[in-house]
Parts: sequence; C-alpha cells; structure tokens
Amino acid sequence: MVNKVLSEQGAGGITTTAIRIRESGIERRARFRSLAEPLSLLVALAVLIGVFSLLNERFLTASNVQNILTQSAIPLIVAVGATLVILLGSIDLSVEGVMGATGMTWILLSANSRGGVDLGPWAWVIALGVALLLGVASGLIFTALKVPSFIVTLGMWYVGLGIATMLYGTDLLPRLEDEGLKGWTSRISLGLPNSFWVALLVIGLGILVLRSTRIGRVTLAIGNSETIVRSAGLPAFRVKVAVFAIAAVLSGLGGILATVQLDIGSPTVGSGVLFIVIPAVVIGGTHLSGGKGGILRTVLGVFLLTILNNGLILSGVESSYQSAVTGAILVAAIVFAAWSQRDRLRVAK
Amino acid sequence: MSLKNKRGALRLAAFAAVAALALAGCTSTAGGTAAGSSGPIAKEDLVLVASVINTTNPYFIANIEGAKALSKKLDIPLEIIDSQGSSQTEISKIQAILAQGKKVVMFVNTVASSDTPTIVDAVKRAGGYVSIWWNKPDNFEPWDSGDNFVAFQKHPGVDSGRCNAKAIGDALGGKGNVIMFPGVQDSTTSQTRVAGFEAEMRENYPGIKILENQPSNWDPQLANQNAKDLIAKYGDQINGVWSADDGMQLGAIQAFDDAGLLDKVKFASDGLYPDTVAMMKEGYGNNAIVGETFHRGYMASAIGLYTAYLAATGEIVPSELPKEKRTSFFDIKCVTPDTLDDYLKYDSPTAAADFVDQLVENGPWDTEPATLTGGGGPEVMPKP
Repeated sequence: MVNKVLSEQGAGGITTTAIRIRESGIERRARFRSLAEPLSLLVALAVLIGVFSLLNERFLTASNVQNILTQSAIPLIVAVGATLVILLGSIDLSVEGVMGATGMTWILLSANSRGGVDLGPWAWVIALGVALLLGVASGLIFTALKVPSFIVTLGMWYVGLGIATMLYGTDLLPRLEDEGLKGWTSRISLGLPNSFWVALLVIGLGILVLRSTRIGRVTLAIGNSETIVRSAGLPAFRVKVAVFAIAAVLSGLGGILATVQLDIGSPTVGSGVLFIVIPAVVIGGTHLSGGKGGILRTVLGVFLLTILNNGLILSGVESSYQSAVTGAILVAAIVFAAWSQRDRLRVAK
Repeated sequence: MSLKNKRGALRLAAFAAVAALALAGCTSTAGGTAAGSSGPIAKEDLVLVASVINTTNPYFIANIEGAKALSKKLDIPLEIIDSQGSSQTEISKIQAILAQGKKVVMFVNTVASSDTPTIVDAVKRAGGYVSIWWNKPDNFEPWDSGDNFVAFQKHPGVDSGRCNAKAIGDALGGKGNVIMFPGVQDSTTSQTRVAGFEAEMRENYPGIKILENQPSNWDPQLANQNAKDLIAKYGDQINGVWSADDGMQLGAIQAFDDAGLLDKVKFASDGLYPDTVAMMKEGYGNNAIVGETFHRGYMASAIGLYTAYLAATGEIVPSELPKEKRTSFFDIKCVTPDTLDDYLKYDSPTAAADFVDQLVENGPWDTEPATLTGGGGPEVMPKP
C-alpha cells in the first residue's frame, strides 16, 4: 500500500482524488458501523421474539406485550439517567438506594395504611426533592472532591437505603390507600400501560436533552475528552453535577412508580434494578468509557433483558436452569450485536 | 490565637480523642479476656446479641422486637447485628462484637446454612453461647460442637407447606390449578415448605394440578413480576397461588389484582404478617386469602436468646439435654379466616413483652403458642 501511495505521488491530481475516495470509504464504513450495531441488536431481538412466540403462542398476545411493556417501564426510566451518566464516562450505582428513599418518602406522605399526612401532589415534589438532593450530593462530591463516581455513588446507594430504612422504622408495611393510584402503572390507556407512557415521555425528553441542549452536547464532549472541554471553557463542572441530579430524579421517579406498582412501601423496592439498567446500557452499545452511545440503544438493551426474562418463563424453562440459560443467551446476543464492531484496532476493556 | 495555632490545637484535641478511644477499647478487651471462658457466667458480664438478615423485612423487625423485650425483662444490654443480606457482613460483624471481649448470649438468624459452623466456632472460642435459627447444614448438629452451640431451632417447613395446601385444596373443592412462589431456591426453609405443600397436594388432593413454580427470592417485587408473567402464560387457568412467605404473597396478590383476576383466585402463605391479618379481616378481594401459618419473629428471637442465656448462666447444661431440645422444632399454627381472631392478641403493642413474661415463667420449650413439637435431627422430608 505504501508503494502504491508513493507511486501515485507523481501525479498530484490523482493523489488528492485517491485520498478523497479513501476518506469517503472510511466515512461510509463508519456510518455503516454506527447503524450496524443497533441493527444487529434489533435482529437479535427479533430472533428472540420469533423463537419465544414459536415456543408459546401466548407470548405475542396483546396482554403479554402489555405485561412486557409494564415490566420494562421502570428500568427504562432509570436507564435514561444511567445512559447520561455513562456517556460522561462515569457510573451511577446509587440507583436502588435512591429508589428506596424516594419511594418510601412518597408513600409515607401519601394516603397510606399507616395514616399520617396525605400531601397529595406535594408528596411527589418532596420525594423527588429527596432524590434531587442525593443526586446533587453525589455530583458535587464527585466533581468538587474528585472522588471516583463509582465510590461516591456506591456510598450514596447505602445512604439512600439508610434513609429508606429509617423512614420505614418498625411499623406495619405502608400500603397505598389512594384507590385512583392503586394499579395505575399497569392500567391501559390508548393501548399502552400508563407506566410505559411515562417511560416514553422520559425517553423523549432524554433524547431531546442529549441532542439539542448544551448539557447534552457537553456531556458527550466530556465523555470524549474532559481536558479539551475544560480548556475550551465549557462548564464541565456544572454539567456533571446536573447529569447526576437528572439521573437521581429519574431513579426517584422509578422508585415512586415501583411503589405504586407493588402497592406497598419497601426500602428495597428497587432491588435488582441496577443489574438490569447498567447491562442494558452496555448491551445497547454505549461505551463505559463515555462519549459514545445513546438513549435509543439503551431502550433496545432494556427490551432485550425484559423479553428474555419473560420469554424464558413463558416457554417453560425449568427455573433451576433459567439463570444459566439467561446468561448464555445474553452473551450470544451481545456477541452477535457487537460483531460489526470487531476491528483489529478496537480495544475492549 | 492565630489561625495556625488554632489548627494545631484542633489537631491536638483530635489526637487526644482518638488516643482516649483507643485506650478505652484496649481496656475493655483486656477485661474481657481475663474472665473465664467456661462455667457459669455472672449476669453482669453478659451481653445479648441478636443477628438478623436485614432490618426491612417485617419478620426480622419482629426478631429485634423480641430481643429488646427479653433484654428489658432480664435487664441485660442488647446489641443488634444487621447482616444486610450478606453472609460476609454477618460474620465480620459478629467477630467484631466478639472481639470486644464481652461474654455473648447470641441469637443468629443465619443468612445461609453454611454460615453456621463459622459462627459457632467464633462464639465458642470467645466463650459465648449461641442459638441458631432457621438455617444450618443438616449434618452439623449442636451435640457435636459442645455446649457453646446451645441449640438449633426452627418452625417445621413441611407442616407449614401442608397447612397451606389444605387451605387451598379445600377452598378450591379439591379441583383446580395452582402456581407456587418458593423463596430462595437453595434455602432449606423454602425447600421444606415446598416439599410439604407438594406432598399434601399429591396425597390428599389428586384433583389439584401444580402448573409451575417460580422461585422469587423472598422478594415481593420479583414475585410481582413473576406473577405477571405466569398470568400472561396461563391466564384464568390459575385457581390458586401459594407463596413461601407473606412478603412475596403481597407482590403476587397485587399482580392478580391488576389483571382483574383477584376475585377468582385463592391464596395461601406462611407468616400471617400483620398486613395479611388486615387483608383477611376485611375479606380483601372476595376473601382471596384462605389460609396462613402463624408464627412470630419476636417469639423466635426470645426463645433462642433465652435458651442460650440459660446455658450461659448454668441453669441448663446443653450436653445433658435430650436431642430434641438441641435441634428443636417449634409449633406452627394453621390459621383460616374463621380462626383468625384467636391470633390477633399476638400483635397487640405489649405482645412481645407478654410472651417474654410467659417464656421466663415456663421455660423455652413450653410457652404457647410456640411449644416444642419435635426435633432431634434434620426435618424429615415427605417421600416424593
């Protein structure tokens, strides 16, 4: 190749054309790659859906599809925040703690079986305020004190859980008493479960923030190179705090919806969500190192995981094999989805 | 004072405080080691310790309540260990308390069966006395480990499962389809309850078919999700739902309520949580809950701690006890909506204190409603 380039050096015009052709080739391949990954994820998803619907004809019925959408709603909401944080190149492990603290604050301030006050809409405001505080605290400690986000948010997880446990005390389980809210998350409006409508709204807003606002653009830039962002005088500090705050508020919203869904308040209402959300973001193709990825891809990741769980139960896989089978299918699906990303120079860590 | 001096003074004060704390720590350890590790221990030297799996599940909160009541009754200080669901946390916190050098009288609701030998060994070396509740390896018996492992105690799971099966079987008139939500799959507590439920159905209700079981890790949220999936799978074919504890049952009931199926399905489970009592009383969802087994966390912790206390003070010598008082099964009551009222008194605000009064009067094996019913070896599983 070197020889070829050298031999072309003689005639100036041809060299420029050769370089242009090469460049456009690279660009085309890059564009193909950026599409190929979500596409192969879609194919993997379609294969899963195909196989599961062959194994059980109830899989693709309207009621099961609504069931899958209800189950994916809360992880989707939380995952939008997690994607933003991971795009920064950071991580938010506090998800379950924030969900617990927010859910518990909310139910104790709403009509519940323990009595107490019923603040109605103010319960939402105060509960989400608790989430916001936790998020801002994580963000400030992370940015101002330069502690790795992994450690800060791990700590904040337990702070959240601690707040929830303290609020819970030793009384009866608080049960939701607002008849209008009971079962609201899985009730159907215009063909879709209510909680999924909320998820769609959050996803829409998330995409808007990421694509069309300064916060979104600076987030992506920080993920690529924080040094450049800072030397360009962009507000890296403020954006990082804001992203952690947004993520925490979304976790909090997830916590409230999970409490509504279960109809009882529990400090561990978020249990298991972290290990759906973070894998979903990564499966979707957002790089853990930040800067590359997006919210729509995460949506595919969440669906892949939810459908896998639901499909295995519906197709009657013996429960003792379920976790092994889930793992194996998951690895296979990711290998397939990431096939287009193989590159001699790509580094996987 | 200049700023610099102020900082210096502050540092000095902080250093002094740390040094004082460290010294205090040393003295208490030294004092503890000096005391003898065998023979009866004076009451003033004892500390009660209750170790629970977490502090959010109503059952474990009741464990703590019972330990507090006994601590008050015996006038001995109490320390609580929250294992946060982790064997590692549990063992390291227990070791930290033992390292303080006090003589412990301990109740441990073990996170996993396999924690028991490690805990027993640590307590033994520190000269304390321990009762283990619910989980231990079958072949690790108290009489093989000396007097410091005073007793292993539990409520029999097979009886619990059988009681629930009868309730559902009768409510469905001996015909229908049932789904099951066991707890953590490798927990003996869950396994024995499942075995009892399945055996009762097989032996006495041949018309009832068990469609499927989905282990739900004692997690209401997971049981809720699994129930939603099984509703999608079987729809209105499901007539009965069994859960290995009331927490998971609350999650399952919510899923059936959301699907509009609550009126047609019957539920039974273990624990009779106060919330379940309220639901049964109001006849929630066309009397959806048809049977429960009754036991209380405060009874378990009080019985466990009191047995260990008697051994520590020399009032009982564990090695001289019959085997069923070392590996012991305590009665579990079978409750239906008709007999519910008999059990309301055990949830009154003074219930734990009342139980402890009875316990100290009658001894650990003869206090209603949790009297000794059997034991002396691993729980016998029904024949498959």
